[in-house]
Amino acid sequence: MIFQKLKNLNYLLIFLLILLSFIGAAGLYSAADGSYQPWASRHLIRFYVFLLIAIVISTIDIKLIYKYCYLLFIISLLLLISVEVIGVLGKGATRWIRIFGLSIQPSEIVKITIILALAKFYNDIKFENVKKISYLFFPFLILIIPFIFVVIQPDLGTSLSIIMLGIFILFIVGVRLWKFILGFIATIISIPILLQFIKPYQRERIISFLNPESDPLGQGYQLIQSKIALGSGGATGKGFMQGTQSYLEYLPEKQTDFIFTLIGEEFGFLGTIFIICLFILLIAVCYFISIKCFHSFGKILALGVASNIFIYVFMNVAMVSGLMPVVGIPLPLISYGGSVMLSIMISMGLVLNVDLNYNLKKLNNA
Amino acid sequence: MFYSVQKKQITTYNRRTFFLFLLKLSLFTAVGWRIYNIQILDSSKYKTLSKKNQIDLEIIFPLRGKIFDRNSILIADNEKVYDVYLIPENTKSINNTLNTLSKFIDIDFANRRKIIQLTSKVKKFEKIKIFENISWSILEKIETNKYNLEGIFIAEDHLRIYPYKEVFSHLLGYISKPNQQELSLPFISKMPNLDIGKEGLEKSFNPLLVGKAGQREIEVNSTGRVIREISKVDSIQGKELHLSLDSRIQEYAVNLLKSYRAGSINVINIKNGEILCMASTPTYDPNKIIKKPNKEYWDSILSNSLSPLTNRSLQGLYSPGSTFKMIVAIAALKYGVISSESTHSCSGKIEFGDRLYHCWKTNGHGKMNVTNAITQSCDVFFYEVSKKLGIDKIAKVAEDFGLGQIFDISMPNQKKGIIPSKKWKKNTLGESWYAGETLISGIGQGFVLTSPFQLAVMTSIIASDGKIVEPTILKSKNINFKTNSKYLDEIKIVKKAMFNVVNVNKGTAFKSRLQDVKFSGKTGTSQVRSISLSERESDEFRKKKQEWKNRDHALFVGYIPYDDPQYAISVIIEHGGSGASTAAPIAKQVFNYIHKLNL
Repeated sequence: MIFQKLKNLNYLLIFLLILLSFIGAAGLYSAADGSYQPWASRHLIRFYVFLLIAIVISTIDIKLIYKYCYLLFIISLLLLISVEVIGVLGKGATRWIRIFGLSIQPSEIVKITIILALAKFYNDIKFENVKKISYLFFPFLILIIPFIFVVIQPDLGTSLSIIMLGIFILFIVGVRLWKFILGFIATIISIPILLQFIKPYQRERIISFLNPESDPLGQGYQLIQSKIALGSGGATGKGFMQGTQSYLEYLPEKQTDFIFTLIGEEFGFLGTIFIICLFILLIAVCYFISIKCFHSFGKILALGVASNIFIYVFMNVAMVSGLMPVVGIPLPLISYGGSVMLSIMISMGLVLNVDLNYNLKKLNNA
Repeated sequence: MFYSVQKKQITTYNRRTFFLFLLKLSLFTAVGWRIYNIQILDSSKYKTLSKKNQIDLEIIFPLRGKIFDRNSILIADNEKVYDVYLIPENTKSINNTLNTLSKFIDIDFANRRKIIQLTSKVKKFEKIKIFENISWSILEKIETNKYNLEGIFIAEDHLRIYPYKEVFSHLLGYISKPNQQELSLPFISKMPNLDIGKEGLEKSFNPLLVGKAGQREIEVNSTGRVIREISKVDSIQGKELHLSLDSRIQEYAVNLLKSYRAGSINVINIKNGEILCMASTPTYDPNKIIKKPNKEYWDSILSNSLSPLTNRSLQGLYSPGSTFKMIVAIAALKYGVISSESTHSCSGKIEFGDRLYHCWKTNGHGKMNVTNAITQSCDVFFYEVSKKLGIDKIAKVAEDFGLGQIFDISMPNQKKGIIPSKKWKKNTLGESWYAGETLISGIGQGFVLTSPFQLAVMTSIIASDGKIVEPTILKSKNINFKTNSKYLDEIKIVKKAMFNVVNVNKGTAFKSRLQDVKFSGKTGTSQVRSISLSERESDEFRKKKQEWKNRDHALFVGYIPYDDPQYAISVIIEHGGSGASTAAPIAKQVFNYIHKLNL
């Protein structure tokens, strides 16, 4: 049974994951001035451990996962809240919680459980009920509660990606378009009110984004440096380990949020486009699994995970190329950081699981 | 019915999935296009930017700490000065700018050529310092005509300034660029161009006075032009120094010394060891050393045979002459060679070995006890006493009273002087001691060499009944000195004699007594060359005008008031004649001045 499952795993997906994490390791190796320390080796070790976890998840009975979706959501929500509480008690803003010696960002995990919860919810209700406004209340709660806790951390990037994720999933399940438009208008109207609650440094980030020259020492500086690094890479790049911007320490957070820039400087346009294409391929594989799947749970789950990855990649690349404010979103599998990788690999395990169980008709009468 | 709903649901799913995928693709295309723009279309622009990007560190020099006297009067300050700079690229014609500038400031032909040569050597955007430390009137003129002076700008700098000019020069020293050795000192590591103290307190307190460098991170392009400032850490000014010196007394003393070619006056507060005055002449003006060009001034200092750079108070060594007699007397009393009543008869000379040893009073003093011998400074008495005492006991007592040692007062290059002993002679000259040398040493001649400051400390210890006064140059309070109670009785006798020196008719300094407040002291006249027998016999030699460099040094040590000593003094006038005629009156004036200051 297990071997059957392992045999039927989607190896294209796994191959893409391995390829991306290797590219990440190469970038980190270069970022550390040609050393496996402190990032590249840990990056790879984490990846293999998490890949194992993903494969384990893929073999779990999907009905079991389906059954505990809400519970998982609530647990992750409690983790998120506890981080907030610990942060308040410890008199310092924090986004991390330590579990089994690993610093976990519950806000990353919560994105996955949001997908699970929404998938279960829309799997259970009848299609005609999707249109009803009353049935929008529960999904709204699933999105807004974690959103609020992430906003007050404050983590602008993650809260934004939760909203985008919600919109994508609600769109897929068939929520009427005019509701999105209405929601959009409501958001626009409430922006001035939201700005009252936003922290000063976040406001500065937005202002600096709108006019990078106004703050050349801070956020704008990062953007200018990032663009110089990318642009000087040209079509084919300066060559592996030959990037100058990164080594002169011009490039901030080169091992996390700005790893794409470093790769862009060293491998040029070819390198950056190759990475984007790999991600498109990864997303496309998830889409294929979603379409192939018989049950709504699997469909929504795979699509949610694909959307989550899309949001990461899009926001990160848009950010380092100056299309978006610097909000602190890493590039999945390539940026250094255990939390995001863990969350990505768990979600990949779920997609692999859906792929293995695509032909189930019903999940709820297990 | 059920079937159609499900079909509809699947159609919606698929359609929306397709749309969402298209949306994501188009969003990726948008960022892809953005990346394409940056990496392909604008690549050359960013490539040049990347080459230009470089970060330089500019050191911000700290201001040197100020130095104050005991009454918080500034004696070393930093003055704002203005320098004129030229930036070649900011002017269309350097010649025109210099022509306009020459209306306000004199630019001679050589200077002008130098400037123009410089502008062709340096990069166009680099600033060239063309004038240093310009006067206010020129500054005003340049500022008002700024619009006609393309490429000219004025920048602020700081210059160390000593408001009292030559008064504190030996104490404070001066500052200047560090030499190769000094570059490795920890406090200047980052600032090779920073002026540091080269002499005196400026040197010893360098680590304190220098302060902490700040820095400016600036981004410069490949040619070195500053594009922008990235970060700035301000420098921290050096700490302030509060000295024990009283600028009024110091200035008064220096002015007194100006009537003579060379000399030294030192005043110590006996109660707490504070040095109130340490004057030495000839002196120099450190401001003139700091202000460039200084070559002429340097040459004049170095060519001066009296060596103005020497701090005579600590580095000048003199035979203490009769001021050494207190030490011999204390030793003799202590070691039982004499009692307070024992007498020796002075006939003007004694014979010892095959030599004659003369008293300054050719006809002799007659019968002398120790008090009278000090009061009238009888040499024969001390010849007799030291003959019995031996040099080593004298040396022992001399060292107990601060002679032959240097003091922990943060002043560099102090001289120890010489307190001779048998061992000393054997070690340094390789010869054994001759008994005759003891006699000469007994009147503070021969090998004995002391610095004027040592004599002031010696006087302080006597005046305070054996308290080991530790002198300090920093303002301080409540110093508890150890007391050497070994010589209490002996000191009492000597102090009585020192009172008599100034205040009884036969005393050598009787003419210099003060009426309002009585002081005690001892004169000293130290021979610079030996007087030949024929000269001595002519009996006229003392009255004859001698060449300056052959005249005796005049010394005086003393303390005031005699009954509760507060201040100790030592005065030395090089080749000033006799202590009684030259040094004692100066001490009197200084004491009188201090008394009137009512400290």
